[in-house]
Amino acid sequence: MIRVKGVSKVFGDKTALKNISFEVKDREIIGLLGPNGAGKTTTMRLIVGYVRPTTGIIAVNGKIPIDDRIDVVRTTGYLPENNPLYQEMKTEEYLKFIAEMKGSTFEKNDSVCTHTGIEDVLSSRIDILSRGYKQRVGLTAALLGNPSLLILDEPTSGLDPIEQDKIRKLIKDLGKKKTIILSTHILSEVEDVATRLIIINKGSIVYDGEKPKRKGSVETLFKKLTA
Amino acid sequence: MFTLFKKEVLFYLNNPIGYIVSILFALFANFLFIKDLFLRGDSSMRNFFDMLPWLLIIFIPAISMRVFAEEKRTNTLELLLSLPISELSLVTAKFFGLVFFGSLSLALTFSLPVLLSMIGKPALSEILVSYSGSVLLLATFSSLSLFFSSVTKNQIIAFLFSTITLFFLILLGTDFFVTVIPHFMSEYISGLSPLNHYDSFLKGLVDIRSVFYFISFIILFIFMTVISVEKRD
Repeated sequence: MIRVKGVSKVFGDKTALKNISFEVKDREIIGLLGPNGAGKTTTMRLIVGYVRPTTGIIAVNGKIPIDDRIDVVRTTGYLPENNPLYQEMKTEEYLKFIAEMKGSTFEKNDSVCTHTGIEDVLSSRIDILSRGYKQRVGLTAALLGNPSLLILDEPTSGLDPIEQDKIRKLIKDLGKKKTIILSTHILSEVEDVATRLIIINKGSIVYDGEKPKRKGSVETLFKKLTA
Repeated sequence: MFTLFKKEVLFYLNNPIGYIVSILFALFANFLFIKDLFLRGDSSMRNFFDMLPWLLIIFIPAISMRVFAEEKRTNTLELLLSLPISELSLVTAKFFGLVFFGSLSLALTFSLPVLLSMIGKPALSEILVSYSGSVLLLATFSSLSLFFSSVTKNQIIAFLFSTITLFFLILLGTDFFVTVIPHFMSEYISGLSPLNHYDSFLKGLVDIRSVFYFISFIILFIFMTVISVEKRD
């Protein structure tokens, strides 16, 4: 589904990614881990064609994201870093806008709202919602149009433990039908949700493989590789 | 593209700032014309259309400064570009949204020809052509302001750059400018000013060269805005 080969990304005099390569197969849930500034968000932006790689090749279902961005994003649901939303819109209005932009439709009783638990805030303005609800609205928007690939940059950021648990369950459930790349700082989240692990440190992939089976071992591995 | 156009127009119509800017523009435009109306003693709208470019160099940057600068600041540009819309469609939708809202605000001055019709016999065909020229001028200013909004995250910087650039472009077409530069240069340089091309509409004539000038100007700045949006590194 996704092939990243020899990709580097340089911003001015800063190298964000150094010659990274990995592949993602259908219905995998990839946990993308790394300290702040490691290159996780840049990797995600490259996959959705938001930024151009300095060197290397990226292909999503055989399409080059930066050249065929529209084709790539048509089958991709993306939750960007910090969950940007049009704060002045009402939730329902916002989701209708996103759905129409994706060439889809959105109705109040859409099943995706039940999954993300936002039925109660559909008529509320986004700027008055709690951070948790805003995160759910962003996730709902990413799910509209039934994309086969989900790219989620810190989807549980700002949520309380109960909400985090709900979103994790939802992601796990979605992973049965979709391919998911999930970036997070929460190691237990990856342990719970991901089927495979990619750890990035200082722009390089330092681990790409199976998720360690033993509880707590993701943290040990992460600390060892990023220290 | 229509979805985004609709969202842009609704932003102004659902937002008090949109109404405030639009009503202020209409108040100034109407007041500045009416204050001398009875002193002039004619039913021409020439004075109104002569003054309009100077109002537009403030009004257009004021409504367009947020268009891309705010999307960049709040990172919603990344969200928009994760949706299946090309950079050209994105810029075009925003441009037409601006022109539509600007034209709605301009329509608030239709009270003037109505008033003139009650007290005299204005040349309505001339007024109609002048309004068409005004919409083209408004669209031209919008394309330039849109570009400046796309190169910064700061709305105030976008506003200042747009206003100053438009001011100098207008100045190139004034008598003041023509008198301070050598004669052989003035003809060419003043030809670059939108003011000269707008003037032909005020005479009630649709000069195809002026229409071509305005459309070329708009295409150039839409193209430059697309390049600016594509440069995301």
